[in-house]
Amino acid sequence: MTQKLLLKSALPAALTALLADHAVFAPTGEAERHAFTCLSSAEASETADAVNLDGLTTISPKEILFPRSETLYGIGLENGEISTPEPTGPTVIFGVRPCDVRSIANLDCSFLEKGFVDTAYVQRRENLTIIALACKELQSPACFCDSMGGGPASAEGADIMLTETADGKAFLVSFLTAKGEAIEKLWETASVLTEPNSADTAPPPPVCTLKVDKPQDLPAKLMAAFDDPAWERLSESCLGCGTCSYICPTCYCFDIDTEISGGKAEQLRCWDCCMFSDYSRMAGGHDPRPTKKERLRNRFLHKLAYFDERHGRTLCVGCGRCIAKCPSGVDIAHVIEWGGTL
Amino acid sequence: MTNEQKQTLMRERAAALMKDGAVSYVIGWRETRFPGKTAIFFVRDEKDADMLVWDEYTIPLTAKYLTENRWPDKKIGIFARGCDSKAINRLISDNQVERENLYIIGLPCEGKKDDRCLSCTQRDPLIYDELLWEPENATGTSETDLQRARFFRAEEVESLPTDARFAHWEDVYARCIRCYACRNVCPVCTCRECYVDMHRTGFQGKHHDAAENRVFGVTRAFHVGDRCIECGECERVCPMGLPILGQTQKIIKTIEGLAGTYEAGMDPEADSFLGKFDLDDKDTFM
Ligand code: SF4
Ligand code: SF4
Ligand code: SF4
Repeated sequence: MTQKLLLKSALPAALTALLADHAVFAPTGEAERHAFTCLSSAEASETADAVNLDGLTTISPKEILFPRSETLYGIGLENGEISTPEPTGPTVIFGVRPCDVRSIANLDCSFLEKGFVDTAYVQRRENLTIIALACKELQSPACFCDSMGGGPASAEGADIMLTETADGKAFLVSFLTAKGEAIEKLWETASVLTEPNSADTAPPPPVCTLKVDKPQDLPAKLMAAFDDPAWERLSESCLGCGTCSYICPTCYCFDIDTEISGGKAEQLRCWDCCMFSDYSRMAGGHDPRPTKKERLRNRFLHKLAYFDERHGRTLCVGCGRCIAKCPSGVDIAHVIEWGGTL
Repeated sequence: MTNEQKQTLMRERAAALMKDGAVSYVIGWRETRFPGKTAIFFVRDEKDADMLVWDEYTIPLTAKYLTENRWPDKKIGIFARGCDSKAINRLISDNQVERENLYIIGLPCEGKKDDRCLSCTQRDPLIYDELLWEPENATGTSETDLQRARFFRAEEVESLPTDARFAHWEDVYARCIRCYACRNVCPVCTCRECYVDMHRTGFQGKHHDAAENRVFGVTRAFHVGDRCIECGECERVCPMGLPILGQTQKIIKTIEGLAGTYEAGMDPEADSFLGKFDLDDKDTFM
């Protein structure tokens, strides 16, 4: 594997080269507006200015693969004609943090594994190239990726890995997969890469300040504690909102609904959240998870036990978003620590 | 009195109430992992009382948590600042909780490190069984004393030209993620079943887009508008930082323009402005 150098001054040219035949998503905006947006090719050099690579986006990039709302198919009410959405073309996500990159492997488990391949997802996934960006500094005091099997410099799942140099003027670039090498060719042609010299080194990656002691047998421990009264305490401040699920890079629950408008019936799939009161309600009105205690327990058991049992991965990458943003102080790291004491 | 002394009083009082068996639990605040962020906490036995906190960050409203237990076996103990007490008054007049089920420990508030406290009109509790310390400021904060206009958020939008106002709200609805945190935290948003959760009625579409977000945003604002106690919790919890307090402020401001001084939650007996109905109403529309 060769390492190249991408000067920050060459970033506009690098993005322009990608935009020629890819849809390119990169973080733009600040504070709550900090999100992955689709850059438009018309204003490539200005777009490079709009890109904001500082910090973790408010909402994770999962919606690029798993949109908040998507039409699966439509049926014309008059003619019965079936329409399917346009397939997406080659797509690049630029500047994804290591935790968010690792979360894509979780989405893959849900949408591609166990004998079921989701048509809409696989089409987007195969067309996706991931350009990751190592964390030079911690993004927030809630980051705990290195307790969850990843780390601020983890390249797991990335096609290309960018690491900022010590002087902050450039990125060291590693092309890790065939998809990554295709971009390398593109960038070579556009002459945006240079050879690093010995002074172009990356400082050692940061270490998360939030350390969570996650025992090997956490799934078994938590499942054995299904009836533990502590769940009441853990959930008492919870509001039952959708914040934690919607900002989480790994949450993948959806609902399917039909909408009729404009002479067309559309079958749509949209994000759903296990903390909502209508999520587990059944025909006839029975709800096996009637209060926030059962809902919150399910959320954490799914993340920390059930998913692990089924796919061999924890459904949390330690990005810390839910801890930082929960309006009620609910804290997944706290649940993991408590599980460890059981 | 310092915050620390006040905190000690709260811990002692909660422990004593639990020891006497006077209440089933006491709703207050605890620390979180992060300095500057507290969370709601239920004191369930004497020992828990030592986890209570009182500092400039004890911001979340306690009152909404009363609606989780509408028929308690024993009284519920609750710490209440001015804003919490307005919320409790509304919960009582909306028939959501019964006064005799509550044991209210009033906490005159010095104002917290939160934007909305700059335009708080009521720092001292209005309804309580006991006051834990003496108010330092006169009850209520007169309009002229406010550090910021009472309807500051609504006025931000009013100051924009019409087109920009439209663009402002379209931007809000485009960015809303419909997590419903604003609905869930609001002390006057108390329907047992929200229209949003009524499965397959079609009232609220499931699509995550600006059009469906607008349906929710406008419905929420109008449903709580005349009962809004101006606590600002809806803005505090919004993960997208949307300035939605402006919606209900605008409704209250409009009510004031039509009917004179109006503030919800000042009196447990008071009807809500839009909830009043008079059989002798001259208006034939009804
Ligand atoms: S844990 Fe926090 S973010 Fe999640 S539903 Fe509860 S209150 Fe909302
Ligand atoms: S559960 Fe929380 S910390 Fe874990 S990946 Fe999701 S948002 Fe990040
Ligand atoms: S300010 Fe917001 S949360 Fe508070 S009562 Fe009004 S609408 Fe509800």
